[in-house]
Amino acid sequence: MKRRIFVASGAAIALAGCARITNALNENPAIHNVLGLAEPFDRALIGTRGRAKTYRDADVDRDFRVNGFDTPSTADYRGLVRTNFASYKLIVVGAVEKPQAFTLAELRALPPYSEVTRHDCVEGWSAIGKWSGVRLATVLALARPTQKARYVVFQCLDRSPEGDPYYESLDFVEAAHPQTVLALDLNGSPLDPDHGAPVRLRVPTQLGYKSAKWIYRIQLAESLSPIFGGKGGYWEDNGYEWYAGI
Amino acid sequence: MDATAQISARPVEASHAEPLVYRHSLTTRITHWLTVISLVILVMSGLQIFNASPNLDASDKSDPHRRVLAIGGANDAAGRPVGMVQIFGWTIRTTHLLGFTDDGMGGESFRAFPGWLTWPGYQALADGRRWHLFFAWLMIFAGIAYMVVGFARKDLQLLILRPQDLPKLLPMQLYYLKLRKKPPPYGKYNPLQKAAYTTVLFVFTPLIIITGLALSPGMDALATPLTALLGGRQFARLWHFLLMIALIGFVLTHVTLVLSTGVVNNMRSMLSGWYRPHEDEGLGI
Repeated sequence: MKRRIFVASGAAIALAGCARITNALNENPAIHNVLGLAEPFDRALIGTRGRAKTYRDADVDRDFRVNGFDTPSTADYRGLVRTNFASYKLIVVGAVEKPQAFTLAELRALPPYSEVTRHDCVEGWSAIGKWSGVRLATVLALARPTQKARYVVFQCLDRSPEGDPYYESLDFVEAAHPQTVLALDLNGSPLDPDHGAPVRLRVPTQLGYKSAKWIYRIQLAESLSPIFGGKGGYWEDNGYEWYAGI
Repeated sequence: MDATAQISARPVEASHAEPLVYRHSLTTRITHWLTVISLVILVMSGLQIFNASPNLDASDKSDPHRRVLAIGGANDAAGRPVGMVQIFGWTIRTTHLLGFTDDGMGGESFRAFPGWLTWPGYQALADGRRWHLFFAWLMIFAGIAYMVVGFARKDLQLLILRPQDLPKLLPMQLYYLKLRKKPPPYGKYNPLQKAAYTTVLFVFTPLIIITGLALSPGMDALATPLTALLGGRQFARLWHFLLMIALIGFVLTHVTLVLSTGVVNNMRSMLSGWYRPHEDEGLGI
């Protein structure tokens, strides 16, 4: 019996040591930077090419999984929901010739785009939804990005538990992709608050964290480094890769 | 030959021992050990990534009705944490091992695989992905270097299973099982070795890369029929997991044979390149 306890506790110590080693290696900044070398290879191999698979209307998840930060609970957002987003405006600013401020009605008056695509979460799960709204390219064309503009940055109303605002960014290859959509509807109904009402991004060629919810401001930027954590997104500032194609 | 004769025969054989031969090129040895490191980290970081969504579905989108494997946990009626594995609807209690287990920080929490099996130990999906994708590339480059140099040196051709090897597979298996006194005649590698290495190099490894890539939404856009052929994204995740188990099976067999057929000779050959033939009557790895 004693021997069994001895063997068991020995094994437990050895196993605990295993996590200690992998944790320590993981926290080494030099190693962390070396690991980041994989991202350009991922981009070179996969990039943003081709078109995400589209599905039939019948394939959609009626109860589309809600993920990400909690739905904004500020008085401002609750007021917007109560008034059916009557005073909401999507602002497009930064390196543009013609800054824009779209009401929801104005967005809905633009050429509509609708597609049934699969949402692939970085966590590993997938869900299918019918997303309708306006192509991002349509909105950007109205604002006329200047030569300096290299990134499209999306600022959102939701915040992390620590209070950091959610934001995301795309380059022009991804922003101009015909399937990159500013979605207003999910499965034929206006987005509900939990799914990012009134406007969310849908980038079916990229992992779900790029598909930012509750967007209120689109900023055309020359560089990502002066914006929040500087890595181009809330999750990017917290260790995820900017390239989210894999 | 009886046991006594065998023992007394050893020193005599040793004096007639065949000279060392140069068996593994520097490229083979370096890429072998890079692959060892990569495989360990890929499996452990892969389990870290699995933990973020601890289900495997035989479907395109996530679908609980087509769930093959789920690892989870919950508090029981008495408020005690319970870990569970569900395979094809069968539930197995796995508390302290899977579902509710080591959190990699000295405690326990609800998570699928324990901290001592994941890389890093604590739950960190972003970090797990970083390790996984880096070592996936490292292993691909090591594999390409091994293949190019191996084919150029005509080493690799000897490792590939050929039609004329097929009739020798069963006799070789019988020999391994000690049901046959002598192995069938063969060259540098025996037919079972060739079958194992051919499968691992040209079937399992390409497939585990392809199934991994099929999880990528960018790759799905680039090569939609590929993901469809695998049964969809979630199904590709299931294949990727099963191939990991197949490769672990190969590694365990490989290590067992390395240990049981003259570990010093085998290790020397994979470290220095030099190998003593027939020391183990041809079971060498």
